[in-house]
Amino acid sequence: MHATIQKPIDEILGYLKPDERVFVVGCDNCAAKCQSGGIPETEEMANRLKEKGVNIVGWCVPQPKGISLCKLSNTAKVLQEEYGEETKQADSFLVLACGQGFHTVMDATDGGMVHPGCDTIFGGETVTDNFITEYCSLCGECIVEYTGGLCPVTLCAKSLLNGPCGGAKDGKCEVDRTRDCGWQLIYDRLKELGRLDEMNAYREPKNNSRWSRPRSLTIGEGEATFRSLSGEQKVASHA
Amino acid sequence: MSKLRQTLESGQFVVTGEIGPPKGVDLDKCLHDAEVMRDHVTAINVTDLQSAVLRIGSMAVSTRLIERGLEPIYQLTCRDRNRLALQSDLLSAWALGIENVLCLTGDHPILGDHTEAKPVYDLDSVQLLKAASTLNQGRDMAGHELDSAPGFFLGAVVTPGAEPLEPQIIKMKKKIEAGARFFQTQSVYEPDKFEHFMGQVQGFNVPVIAGIVVLKSAAMAKFMNSNVAGISVPEGIIREMDETKKEDRKKKAVEITARIIRQVKPLCQGVHIMPLGWDELIPEIISEAELSWEARTPQEK
Repeated sequence: MHATIQKPIDEILGYLKPDERVFVVGCDNCAAKCQSGGIPETEEMANRLKEKGVNIVGWCVPQPKGISLCKLSNTAKVLQEEYGEETKQADSFLVLACGQGFHTVMDATDGGMVHPGCDTIFGGETVTDNFITEYCSLCGECIVEYTGGLCPVTLCAKSLLNGPCGGAKDGKCEVDRTRDCGWQLIYDRLKELGRLDEMNAYREPKNNSRWSRPRSLTIGEGEATFRSLSGEQKVASHA
Repeated sequence: MSKLRQTLESGQFVVTGEIGPPKGVDLDKCLHDAEVMRDHVTAINVTDLQSAVLRIGSMAVSTRLIERGLEPIYQLTCRDRNRLALQSDLLSAWALGIENVLCLTGDHPILGDHTEAKPVYDLDSVQLLKAASTLNQGRDMAGHELDSAPGFFLGAVVTPGAEPLEPQIIKMKKKIEAGARFFQTQSVYEPDKFEHFMGQVQGFNVPVIAGIVVLKSAAMAKFMNSNVAGISVPEGIIREMDETKKEDRKKKAVEITARIIRQVKPLCQGVHIMPLGWDELIPEIISEAELSWEARTPQEK
């Protein structure tokens, strides 16, 4: 999931021209879980902006329940058909969702003017309804097989691949003494799994060209293609 | 061949010192600090943006040492440079006469004075050692041939007081396989713990130089105990410092440092004294630790 937090209302107000007609859009998946752009938050944002004198022509969180705003076909249908009358009047859209959902609204409105209402902060695991945390950095080259399933790129503040730096104290990281040292976690886990030998092997530097942006994935008949600066990688898909 | 390499490879005991480049362009003070060490140490570490605080670069200061006939150990961290910049800086360093390189991860920018800086860490310290070894063999990391190769003497760091120690030892082995030919350690205050560590790495056959930060006060010891990984100043030493009048602290610092050096000397192949500004104490520390040139490198002087 993509974790998001709402931007301060004054920053959002600063984006809007006087008399600009605004339609507010939320997301019923990730932003709803983060309580930054679900139904209650989107309605509330529309009301708060109205109170500040902004001309709000409508708001919506595309349904069915739980669907991601970043599914373009659904978002386009909702904004152009279900809410077509309101969105036609809008000069712009304020999006309470991640950067992907934000861009989806731009596509769904044929290049409409879109304002970000959230900061996209990371991709994470929804550990509980109230806690989301990051275990993956989307680097394009997964090495967790060798690290007990715990990603050093994400869990180590320095993304070190060959073991801990000298900065951990009592198992806590030098950048924040309340935060676990990623390599301490990896060491403990490998030991527990009886796979500490994995730590002895030299790990090559990352291929950062797989981490280049923007990247894309095209899914075809029996084959998917990942494109990055490392080139095109075709893989079999068995859907 | 660098004096450091000659000394270590001949199995002699070595003493190294350390200077920190200034925040600015006036090198007088740090070159003076190095000058004080001239006849007492084999080589002088020059830190690379120590504690992630912006300063003049390690390469510039190392070069100035060479011009004065002093031998630097150029510290190079992975924090601020990607693999292109690291390899290029290494080649530049060699062209400027630098032979000893200490490869480190580097403190995270959040601990320094530019907390919003992007941490690079494109390579880690093991990968940096391997990259430098590859340059020594006449190739770059991408496998392309260099038209001429450097011949660096590569070093690395280890924290003997780390708990748990095992991950440090695993990484130390990897550093040796990647090309580390000497180790300098985090500051040692507990010779017993250090002895245990040396027992663990006995078969590695790579010289270990024990680091010692000159203690200036009890407050500094307490600060390091709570904030610096792998450092544990025993209560007894803190009390000793605490009971010393301010005007006698330098004398006490010499006494404590020399005592620790005498205790660790039989266990390892050198000491690395980090005076943190009290550089003028180095001659006295060396004399009190019975580390005259005759006692360590009779052929050299």
